[in-house]
Amino acid sequence: MHLLTGLVIVIMAAALARAIAPGRPILTALGGGIAAAALLAAFHQDLAGTDFWAGTIGFLAILTALIVVIHPNPMVSVLSLIMNLLCLALFYLLLQAQTLAILQVIVYAGAIMVLFVFVIMLLNLKAEEGLRIGRGVQRWGAILGGFAFAALLLWALRHRQGHAWMEPGRHAGEFGTAASLGGLLFGQYVFATEAASVLLIAAMVGAVLLAKRRLD
Amino acid sequence: MRIDFFLVMAALLFTIGCVGVLVRRNIIVMLMCIEIMLNAVNLTFIAFSHELQSMTGQVFALFVITVAACEAAVGLAIVLALYRRRRTTDADDASLLRW
Repeated sequence: MHLLTGLVIVIMAAALARAIAPGRPILTALGGGIAAAALLAAFHQDLAGTDFWAGTIGFLAILTALIVVIHPNPMVSVLSLIMNLLCLALFYLLLQAQTLAILQVIVYAGAIMVLFVFVIMLLNLKAEEGLRIGRGVQRWGAILGGFAFAALLLWALRHRQGHAWMEPGRHAGEFGTAASLGGLLFGQYVFATEAASVLLIAAMVGAVLLAKRRLD
Repeated sequence: MRIDFFLVMAALLFTIGCVGVLVRRNIIVMLMCIEIMLNAVNLTFIAFSHELQSMTGQVFALFVITVAACEAAVGLAIVLALYRRRRTTDADDASLLRW
């Protein structure tokens, strides 16, 4: 059921985004209407339940990701990517990862996306004439490979083994809080945390060096 | 709620990001597609962390966010350096190391 819903969502989202790209509003409205109708039909039993909202957020996430890939204007891509990150933050909330949802909004949608917006504004990038995507073999290879990859992933999910190897951990009570996350970060994974800090410093030095006008 | 929905969503997002990296030639958009892929991986981590009721997946997702921040900073610095030197953000114009 979920698999089918996901496929319906992605096909409708693809139609919608494809309609948006050349700028034909009637096709856009039609695609949006069909997608909404399909979503309503798929979730008509539990219209107010979690499934419905998860499906709606998932539809938005797929749609915005497709716009990032398809749209010729990098600025629209960045804004739509921010929307995508917010949808994923809502997913994290549904999965009881409150701290990570907040971090996603602050760090990803805030800090990292500001970098992208800043660079695009700095370089004064315009929309590409036409959509410059790879030529010939590259384009069709990527599209075919993408479909094959999606099919492989979906097949693997379909044949995923059951729930026998799963057992509840000991963090069931305070699952997803900042306290339990911090306890793990500075307890069991303290070495990895320190390594991450070294990585951040290295990236900072590297970014400063790369962005300098001359290297002498 | 079963996590299969989230796994399917992550797989689709990862595929979209992967195709975007392969198809688009604008380096900034390619970096954004990499961010989409990293986020799909994060979603998988967190979905399994929820299913197994183990916080380790969330710690891993946090590290993935850290690495994504580093990657964005360094990648955008490279884009700036490339633009300053060649006046382009097209990946096909920076083909010095190609065969």
